[in-house]
Amino acid sequence: MARDVATGAERSLREEALAKPWGTIIAFLLPALIIYVAFTAYPALRTLWNSFHKVLPRREEAVGLANYAELMQDEIFWRAVRNTITWACTSPLVEVSVALVLALALYAKVPGARFFRVAWFTPVLMSYVVVGILWLWIYNYDWGPVNVALRALGLGGLAMPWLGDPKTALPSLIFVTSWMWVGFNMVVLLAALHSLPREVIEAAELDNCGWGGKLVFVILPLIRPTLLNLIVLSFIGKMKIFDLVWITTKGNPLWATETVSTYVYKRAFEWTTFDLGYPSTIAAVWFVIVLCAVLTLTWVFRLREKLEY
Amino acid sequence: MPALKRTLLLLLLSFYTCFAAGPFVWAAMLSLRTTTEIHRNHFALPIPAHWEKFPEAWFNSNYSVYFANSALIVVSAVLVLTLVGSMAAHCLARYRFRLNRIIYFILFSTIIFPPQITIISLFQILVQYGLYNSKIGLTLVYVAIQLPLTIYILESFFARIPSDLFDAARMDGYSDWEIFWRVSFPIALPAISTTVILNFILLWNEFLYAVVLITDESNRTLPLGIQRFIGDTQEDVGMIATGLMIAIIPVVVVYAFFSEKLIQGMTAGAVK
Amino acid sequence: MAVVTLDRLTKIYDRAHLPAADAVSLEVQHGEFMVLLGPSGCGKTTTLRMVAGLESISSGTLSIDGRVVNQIPAKDRDIAMVFQSYALYPHMSVKDNLAFGLKRRSVERAEIERRVTNVADTLGLSGLLERKPHALSGGQRQRVALGRAIVRDPKVFLFDEPLSNLDAALRVSTRGELAKLHRRLGATMIYVTHDQVEAMTLGSRICIMNGGKVVQVGPPLEVYKRPANTFVAAFLGNPPMNLLPGRADGGSDGLAVKVGEITIQLPSARCAPLAAGSAITVGVRPENIAEGARNGGAFASVPAEIVQVEPLGAETILAARLPGIERDVMARVGADSELKVGARCNLSLDLSAVHLFDAAGDVLDHKP
Repeated sequence: MARDVATGAERSLREEALAKPWGTIIAFLLPALIIYVAFTAYPALRTLWNSFHKVLPRREEAVGLANYAELMQDEIFWRAVRNTITWACTSPLVEVSVALVLALALYAKVPGARFFRVAWFTPVLMSYVVVGILWLWIYNYDWGPVNVALRALGLGGLAMPWLGDPKTALPSLIFVTSWMWVGFNMVVLLAALHSLPREVIEAAELDNCGWGGKLVFVILPLIRPTLLNLIVLSFIGKMKIFDLVWITTKGNPLWATETVSTYVYKRAFEWTTFDLGYPSTIAAVWFVIVLCAVLTLTWVFRLREKLEY
Repeated sequence: MPALKRTLLLLLLSFYTCFAAGPFVWAAMLSLRTTTEIHRNHFALPIPAHWEKFPEAWFNSNYSVYFANSALIVVSAVLVLTLVGSMAAHCLARYRFRLNRIIYFILFSTIIFPPQITIISLFQILVQYGLYNSKIGLTLVYVAIQLPLTIYILESFFARIPSDLFDAARMDGYSDWEIFWRVSFPIALPAISTTVILNFILLWNEFLYAVVLITDESNRTLPLGIQRFIGDTQEDVGMIATGLMIAIIPVVVVYAFFSEKLIQGMTAGAVK
Repeated sequence: MAVVTLDRLTKIYDRAHLPAADAVSLEVQHGEFMVLLGPSGCGKTTTLRMVAGLESISSGTLSIDGRVVNQIPAKDRDIAMVFQSYALYPHMSVKDNLAFGLKRRSVERAEIERRVTNVADTLGLSGLLERKPHALSGGQRQRVALGRAIVRDPKVFLFDEPLSNLDAALRVSTRGELAKLHRRLGATMIYVTHDQVEAMTLGSRICIMNGGKVVQVGPPLEVYKRPANTFVAAFLGNPPMNLLPGRADGGSDGLAVKVGEITIQLPSARCAPLAAGSAITVGVRPENIAEGARNGGAFASVPAEIVQVEPLGAETILAARLPGIERDVMARVGADSELKVGARCNLSLDLSAVHLFDAAGDVLDHKP
């Protein structure tokens, strides 16, 4: 009967759908997997392999844990680690808190909110190279706007070679990345604020909450996941930082702005010994450090717990 | 809100806008002045505006080469990324098989990887296969580094497409490839354009991999070109500024037309 | 308990041509359950939000217990609101949700404890106090939203379509709970809904709104039996009242109306003589149409062809085509009706219950 034929056809379609189409799956995934294995997975493993060798231009020599031992004593490395971690810990706090203030200001329906949002986002779009050069000029001792302004305000005593003094170099660079990323964080926070359920905030209004009360008891708790997410993203980003340092200070003065990434680059490509094994060791150890740091952060923030509403 | 509070707020926000956009405005002004003019007064307005500096930088300082290289490499990488990434994302989102979540997790977790863990070996590999210092080599590396993020963004979008559409397509006799190409891909176009813009911006500005994997003058990308510039012509602030503007302009143009898309693209996945 | 007086409240949003609420005037008495009823976009929610203080008032005065509250912020009006989406604080437990408003008003800890426990007991929430909203069912969340309002012991309760997110069965039982609650607390309540069944069963008075304006106010049965215009007439009742366009026919005493091809002779007790030729709409509710011919006196018999039969078990709904009338006429007859589709029969219209509306749609009053 016509009805049975239809059911029969449906059934075979369903069977066909349920039988895993392995050929298709592989065809779709293969290009991505090949690229991933060839340019990410394999290199990562090879770096690990390198770390146990001395890798010279024309030969390789297995040295066991010698590189690692040397690394533990390497003062420059640990200085770089301290610098990078300081950067990764302070930057997020500055970026996210300033961004929060700005986002709240725009959320409060200030006129021109759309313009401000677009304008403040621009630093994020620029290459670190461009940003680096601009701030080299801004921090210039003789004619950079910072010192010129200080002198004009009669605070000439505070003018200094911001990027040349070991005490101010790193904070100056941290200031630059904050300048860059506040806009990004602000845009994300503004979107989070706008996605808050309007009626919950109105209920708070009826429950005798003024601006402060609404902020503390409703808004902040509800955007907490986004805030923490931004802090983690910023942390990861600063752990990887290279471009800005390379353009401005290259790690100077006296390793004050040396980061792990600049140090690896120098050891791999600028040291007179052309050994790639040692920098691979640095990379491997750093990889473990970053992984542990991120896992700790995620666990501490318990980011997986998502607030449903 | 009371008028006083509002004006104070506006003042604060305008001040911050100067702070955020100030450096670029200053660079734009500098780009139109000669270096001698600049050294007389670093903050004067560009009057007269020396527009001829732009063609000068473009032709005499090899900017045309850098720009062309960047354009070629980035556009190719983005094309490949879009195709390969969307295929993989579609597959991971729509088909259920045991390795699905493992593969997804592996791809996603590489976003945390510090580049150092791969860059040294990539250098070795590219040298080994004669791809060192080549546009193709850099393009492939660029695809690899942006693949995890692209797949992450697209997978969540593909997963949200109602499966009824796929059932209907299957009943209409479409093959799996046709379903991807005629159903998934068109519907996901907003998300795909988001990743296109995001990848474009990130790769246009990319520096570390370029600096390691390209040393040949003729293959330099724009960020490398600018960096060489400051190495060579330390004090020629005017020319450097012009070079900076040339580098910034494509991004500004894209931003001017697609600011909303761009903002959404770059912040995708950050809102929880 | 309070008297809420709305005096020509108007709300015009920026850049809008028409007001969302237009000169709404209403007086809600002590302990009254006033329902604002109307289709979506009629301004009922806007009016409610103006009373709450969540929308600014463009013009007109709002008073609570004689005190003008236009400029007083929402939190100081001693009003509690139950939102359509419940608006529970997602990050707080049920207990904290209930206690939050009181804590913010610096009520003593012991008092808060007492009130929260009381309300939780009444609403059956005692076992759920430590849970967060996302772990509650829709009905439970609704009760927490209700509890949050009760615990405040406010002068006025406001409800914004609180039952619309519940499934049908839950809606019926919660309706009963709300009615019981009102009887127990005796509080002044203003309730917004688009569901006429809720309005009819819960309201002490219904205020019907359309296009931002108040159309009619009155106790449910009165609004049902004496609709002020065709809009109200068609809005209440399910199936809605049959509105048959016709013309006054003159006739010997000016009481004849020609509807389609039928001439209806209205009883003299029904209304004053009608101007000949004037457009008249005759409204008959489905329950006032019976099967079979019954002539004379207060009944008019009309020929009809049955086009649809819907046996509902307890009764049967018929759709019938009357000669010259475009729209099908709905009739409510007993379950034992044996009429089938296509049957030709006579239907009787109860003329004592018929409504007459003029060309503008307003009701023509009964003869005094």
